[in-house]
Amino acid sequence: MPYHKFKCSECIPEREKHAVIKGPGEDLTSALPLGYLNTIPGSISERGCAYCGAKHVIGTPMKDVIHMSHGPVGCTYDTWQTKRYISDNDNFQLKYTYATDMKEKHIIFGAEKLLKQNIIEAFKAFPTIKRMTLYQTCASALIGDDINAIAAEVMEEMPEVDIFVCNSPGFGGPSQSGGHHKINIAWINQKVGNVEPKITSDYVINYVGEYNIQGDQEVMVDYFRRMGIQVLSTFTGNGSYDDLRSMHRAHLNVLECARSAEYICNELKVRYGTPRLDIDGFGFEALGTSLRKVGLFFGIEDRAQAIIDEETARWKPEMDWYKERLQGKKVCLWPGGSKLWHWAHAIREDMGVNVVSVYTKFGHQGDMEKGIARCEEGALAIDDPNELEALEALEMLKPDIIFTGKRPGEVAKKLRVPYLNAHAYHNGPYKGFEGWVRFARDIYNAIYSPIHQLSFVDISKDEIPDQTSFLTQKMISDVNLSEEVTASKELREYTGNYDTITPLRNKTYPDFPAEKKLSAV
Amino acid sequence: MQCEVKNKERAGVINPILTCQPCGAQYASIGIKECIGIVHGGQGCVMFVRLLFSQHFKESFELASSSLHEDGAVFGATHRVEEAVDVLLMRYPHVKVIPIISTCSTEVIGDDIDGVVLKLNNGLLKEKYAGREVHLIPIHSPSFKGSMVSGYDVAVKDIVSHFAKKDKPNGKINLITGWVNPGDVTAIKHLLSEMQVDATVLFEIESFDSPLMPDGNSVSYGNTTIADLTETADALGTIALNRYEGGQAAKYLENEFDIPTIIGPTPIGIRNTDIFLQNVKKMTGKPIPASLVRERGIALDALTDLTHMFFADKKVAIYGNADLVIGLAEFCLDLEMKPVLLLLGDDNTSYPNDPRIKALQEKVSFEMEVIMNADLWELENRIKNEGLELDLILGHSKGRFISIDYNIPMVRVGFPTYDRAGLYRHPVVGYAGATWLGEEMANTLFTDMEYKKNKEWVLNVW
Repeated sequence: MPYHKFKCSECIPEREKHAVIKGPGEDLTSALPLGYLNTIPGSISERGCAYCGAKHVIGTPMKDVIHMSHGPVGCTYDTWQTKRYISDNDNFQLKYTYATDMKEKHIIFGAEKLLKQNIIEAFKAFPTIKRMTLYQTCASALIGDDINAIAAEVMEEMPEVDIFVCNSPGFGGPSQSGGHHKINIAWINQKVGNVEPKITSDYVINYVGEYNIQGDQEVMVDYFRRMGIQVLSTFTGNGSYDDLRSMHRAHLNVLECARSAEYICNELKVRYGTPRLDIDGFGFEALGTSLRKVGLFFGIEDRAQAIIDEETARWKPEMDWYKERLQGKKVCLWPGGSKLWHWAHAIREDMGVNVVSVYTKFGHQGDMEKGIARCEEGALAIDDPNELEALEALEMLKPDIIFTGKRPGEVAKKLRVPYLNAHAYHNGPYKGFEGWVRFARDIYNAIYSPIHQLSFVDISKDEIPDQTSFLTQKMISDVNLSEEVTASKELREYTGNYDTITPLRNKTYPDFPAEKKLSAV
Repeated sequence: MQCEVKNKERAGVINPILTCQPCGAQYASIGIKECIGIVHGGQGCVMFVRLLFSQHFKESFELASSSLHEDGAVFGATHRVEEAVDVLLMRYPHVKVIPIISTCSTEVIGDDIDGVVLKLNNGLLKEKYAGREVHLIPIHSPSFKGSMVSGYDVAVKDIVSHFAKKDKPNGKINLITGWVNPGDVTAIKHLLSEMQVDATVLFEIESFDSPLMPDGNSVSYGNTTIADLTETADALGTIALNRYEGGQAAKYLENEFDIPTIIGPTPIGIRNTDIFLQNVKKMTGKPIPASLVRERGIALDALTDLTHMFFADKKVAIYGNADLVIGLAEFCLDLEMKPVLLLLGDDNTSYPNDPRIKALQEKVSFEMEVIMNADLWELENRIKNEGLELDLILGHSKGRFISIDYNIPMVRVGFPTYDRAGLYRHPVVGYAGATWLGEEMANTLFTDMEYKKNKEWVLNVW
């Protein structure tokens, strides 16, 4: 597995070991790219900071909370309304953000008084909200404000409120990943064990590392409920602050994004003996296996199997309609962290696409290990990519589509590579059986976009095709397909609705009477 | 007095209107050709600002970070700036201008970016990059002072003062736009070209609306050149459209090179555009041509169809950058509307002395509030808890949920406007801007009438 040298990075030898190409017959022992090291200044890396890793990625999806940042206004403003983590309480956490608005005089004289005033004002402005998270920023960390002390003081004066403090300044670590770690540990240290939940089932889980992007969490929780499982808390998408204080009472921690949230699972194992089960909500095969594993743990595989059978029967013919049309398409899978291994194998299996490159902005070597293992030969793996390397890779690989963030997506657009938003999704949710079909549908529409095709025509030089005044995706995609496929009665295009989440919120579930004597053990 | 000017009473911010200074400095940086700014601070200060720009423009812009990590925060991180400059110059051979933009963290730890620039100029640039034109420009934009507006103002001034050099008169005017969109630059350039006035536009950002070309091109950037910036000292005059966004640079040129200077008014609406043209005429001696009389006539014709029938007495709240908010308020008044609440999103202490605000205080005869250092909760709280009734909101996308949750029609204007398509392409300044704004407001009200079935039949015979 030779290291891949980018031409644009020849002048920075530190980059030499951050990219590899998976060679024939090679395994991971030959080489892995370096990971999670300090960023090279001026390289135009795509990394964010530890504050955003804590506040923006993990903290803010919690839905019934005032999320306040102690610092100047920018950290708050910049991370606000840039994600699609929805919630079933009318998206309170998306709509409101709070900054203590630290100014020069506070830098000099301290801002603890300002912080306290802010906390009181915010609770007053939202009298029904009694929970708050406080995030340190670079500025408040450097001047040494004791945020924990102020939080404790307010909680003593206002016994009805509860406040969580996360000390994760932006400079704390090479990337946002440092913040993931800090908030995981802070939460279990400060809050877990403080609330005793009502147990209503024999089977109780925490759903961890799931951020409810476009409703992912609600799709997965629907499956769990259909299996008669009580989801005590979700860390943190659509999650409730008080539910997350009772994490210690679950029988099992079901972990989705191991990159951002394995820390709390590992701590729950050490402190409360709760086992950790890693699952995967993306992909028919992976999701089926995941539900079966959860079923197996509780001895209710039959319930899992019933869901898998029902969902597969409903959605597989639609999945396969797309698979026929996506075979062999080249994909650059360039997300932030864990999706490189959540998706690499699953999209090849279920959609027939070929992952020609994976990259990670804030993943560690372990993520690369899993990602590369799930890629085919020839795949290019890049750690902490930068702007020029990404361009060079796109020129070299000429992918049919790229899955990445919003801004890099704009770069790809200019190279005439269609992009799908890997963080926020185009038309999600992408988790669940139906979600996976939605993903395939988005990929299909992007690759076979008639407008995209037009971007390759140079009207000043090329012959302008004039046989048709319009094209449809199907006219483009079905050209080389066999009659057997195009005329298939079994296969069909996606038939779901634009909004698949709202109906889930009013759903009733079968009653699985608890067999054991229930108590808050 | 009917118009009350006051500060937000709360200490903190619930839903900010503006972000912090480094964002403004970065906005100035991307307006320059062959330029990539380095933000000295944590990586989020760049990553999220780039995201914000790409949300607004649906384009990607290049900005680098010194990537401050823990060790740098403790022991000082000026060496990270040195490394960043070197890495950037090695890998981007076209780059000539590098603004070094400070943030709260690097200002608090006291990193001396001016010293680093001096060191690099005498060291690295002489040794390794001899013969290459490179300009390092330190810009102090700590996040705990001012806002993105003052950050922009400071950066424009620092960039202009770095380059401006007296040579022989170039017969041009300097046109400092302030924080505007490509559509505004197009509109202003059109007015100047109709008047046959040659201008150096700072910053030349029409190209932010960049095409998708058959040969592929990857980034968007502004087109203001080093020569443009250098020549600012040779101009026959400077017009800064906005007082708080570029005003400092105009004053610098006036003080340093005796360049006649006119700051404002922000040419939003017919009246302010008239004044702008008159200022250009005074400065250049060029007459206002018949073509603009006609253009103005088209705008007036369009607006006359709307004012008494639809706009009269409509209550409007406006938030955003101060110059924009004031300009919009003045235009609304001309349109017979009542801008009852103006929210200025930062704590600039000179707002109360702004003659435009004083004029509102002296002359407005209905209840009007101007809130300084405001946040969006000042608006929402008045609607939710204090009975404020509004017909229309003018502001950027960060306030979208107020419009959505309280069913108040809203026209997106300012920065950022990511929840509507292509707004950066439309001007709010000049006669074209007046027409677009007026018609956009009208159509927004019409859609709302239909959606709420509020006298929607009125439109049958309009």
